[in-house]
Amino acid sequence: MVGLLLQILADALLLGGVYTLMAIGLSLAFGVTRIINFAHGDVVMYGAYGAFFAFAGLNIDPLLSLPMVAILGGIGGYLLFKMTLDRILNDISINQVLLTFGLGLVLQNVAVILWTGDERSTTPSYAFDSWLFSDDIVIAKGRVIAFVIAVLFVIMLLAWLRWSELGRATRAVSQNQAAASLMGINVRAMYGLSFALSSAFGAATGAIMSFLLPITPFMGFPIMVKAFAIIILGGMDSVIGTVLGAFFLAIAETAIAYLVPQGIGWAEGVAFFLMVLMLIARPAGILGTAGRDA
Amino acid sequence: MNSTRAWMVIAAAFLVALVLPHFLPPGLSELATRLSTLILVAVSWNMMANAGLISLGHSGFWGLGAYTAALLANAVHMPFWLTIVPAMILGGGFGVLLAYITGRLRGLFFAISTLAMAEALRVIALMVPKLTGGAEGLFVFDEIRPGRETMTSFALCLAVATVAISYFLSKSRFQYALRAMRDSESAVQMLGVNPARFRMGVTALSGAIASCAGVISAWYTGYLDPGAAFDMKITISAQIAPLFGGLYTVSGPVIGAAAIMTLSELTRIYFGYSAGVGLLVYGVILVFGVLFMPSGVVGLYGRWRNRSKRRGALAEGRP
Repeated sequence: MVGLLLQILADALLLGGVYTLMAIGLSLAFGVTRIINFAHGDVVMYGAYGAFFAFAGLNIDPLLSLPMVAILGGIGGYLLFKMTLDRILNDISINQVLLTFGLGLVLQNVAVILWTGDERSTTPSYAFDSWLFSDDIVIAKGRVIAFVIAVLFVIMLLAWLRWSELGRATRAVSQNQAAASLMGINVRAMYGLSFALSSAFGAATGAIMSFLLPITPFMGFPIMVKAFAIIILGGMDSVIGTVLGAFFLAIAETAIAYLVPQGIGWAEGVAFFLMVLMLIARPAGILGTAGRDA
Repeated sequence: MNSTRAWMVIAAAFLVALVLPHFLPPGLSELATRLSTLILVAVSWNMMANAGLISLGHSGFWGLGAYTAALLANAVHMPFWLTIVPAMILGGGFGVLLAYITGRLRGLFFAISTLAMAEALRVIALMVPKLTGGAEGLFVFDEIRPGRETMTSFALCLAVATVAISYFLSKSRFQYALRAMRDSESAVQMLGVNPARFRMGVTALSGAIASCAGVISAWYTGYLDPGAAFDMKITISAQIAPLFGGLYTVSGPVIGAAAIMTLSELTRIYFGYSAGVGLLVYGVILVFGVLFMPSGVVGLYGRWRNRSKRRGALAEGRP
C-alpha cells in the first residue's frame, strides 16, 4: 500500500512537470495579451515534428535540438502573430477566438497533408529507460528529464519577468495596459514578444513530447485542452498559478487512474470536471486575477 | 418583409420541405439531410454568437441529441418524431446548465467551458459502454427507422422551423437585448435588462436546436459512436457557416451552410478523400473570414448594393 502511494506520488509529480510544460506558454501569452491562443497545441505539435526530423534525419538528440526548435518556434509564432492577430487586436474577443481556432486548423491540416496521420516518435536511449526503487516503484527516465526541464523553464521565465527590462515591461502590460502605454512601453511590441516567447515555449515542449508521446498531427488538440484546464485551475495570468494548476490536475488524474476501476479512461475526463468545479467556485483560478473582465 | 408575407414564405418552405424529398434521387436526398443538420447547428451557433457567447462545444449538444434519440429508440421504441422532444429538453437543459456554470464569466471562459463540456460528454459516452455501447458504438433499432424520404422531409421541416424561429427572434425585443449584450453586458445590466436571464434563454434555445440536428443524424445514419457523435468537425462547421455567410444575420448561416456544403463536396470531388484537405479549407476560411470579411457574404452583398445604389443616384443627378 505504501508502495502504491509512493508510486502515485512519483507519477503525479512527474506528470505535473509535463503538464507545466504544456500550459506555461499559453498562460504567458494570455497574461499579456488576454487572448487565448487556440493554436498553441499545434505549435507544440510542430515542435515535436521539428525534433523528430532532427533526430531521424540528422541523428540529433531531441534535447540538443531543443534550443534550435524553440528559436524557430519563437520566430514562427512572431510571424504568425504579425500576419494575423496583430490586425484584429481591437476586435471583439469572438473574432480572436475564431481566428486562433482557424490558425490551429490550418496548422494541423498542413501537417496532415505533409506528413500523414502516421504515428512517429524519437527514440533516444532514455526514452525507454526507467529506474526501479525498492522493487515496486518505477520511475521513467524520460519523464524525469521533462520534469527537470519544466523546472528550468519556470525558473528562467520567472527570473526574466522579474529582473530583465523587457520582462518588467511585460509584467506592466499584463497588469495595466493603459498605464504601461503611458510609461512609454510599446504595448504592441510586448504583445508580439510574448507571443514569440509563448510559441518558443510551445515548440520546446514539443521537442520534449517527441519522446514521451506518439507524434501525430492530432496530438495538439488534447494537449491544448489539458493546457486550458490547467490555466483555468491555476489562474490564467499567473506563472506560479499555472504550475500549481498543473500539479493539481496531475495529482487528481494519477490518483483516479490508479484507484478507480477503469480509472485510466476516466482520468481523461478529470480535467473537465475539475475545470467546471473551479469555474463555479472561483472563476479566477487558484492565483489568477482575470476572472471578471476577460 | 411584413409578417403576412413572412408567414407565406414559411408556409411555402414547409410545403417544399414536405414534397421535395419524394422527387430527389438518393444522393441529393442525403445532401439535403446533411444540409438541414448543418443549417440547424449553424443557426443555433449564430444565436449564441449574437449574444456574444462563442461556443466551441456544439458537438456536445449534437451528441447529446443523437444519444437521446438512439437510446430511447432502442429502449422504448419511441418513434423518430417524438424523440426530438426529450432531446430538445435535454439539450436545452444542458444549455441552461452551461449558462449557469459560466454565469459570471464571459467571452473566453464561455468558449473554453463549452469545449470542455463537449469533451466531458465524449469521455462519459466512451466510459459507460453498458448504456452507450462505448467505443464500439450503437445501432439504432432498425425496424422503427423511417424511410429515406420521410427522414429528409423531417430534417428539412426542422431546418425551416429553425430559420423561422431565428427570423422572428430577430424581429423581437429579445434581439435588441442580445445585441446589446454582445457589446457590453455590464451596460445592458445598467439599463435594467437582466443579462443572466437572456443568456440562459439563448443557450437553452440554441442547445435545443443543436440537439435536434443530432437526432436527425442518429436516425438517418442508424449508427453512432462517441467519436462521431461528439466530433469536433461539427463544431467547426457550425461556426464556419455563419462566419462565411454573415455573423448575426438571419440569412447568413443558411447561405453559409449551403456554401460550406458545396465547398466540401467540391474538395471531395477534386481531392478525393485525401485527409486534411477539407479541414484545411475550413481553417483557411476561418482565418480569412475573420481578417478580411468579418461580415461575411451577406455583408459583402449589402456593401455592393449600397455602392450600386449610390452610383445609380449619382447617374441620375440626385445627391
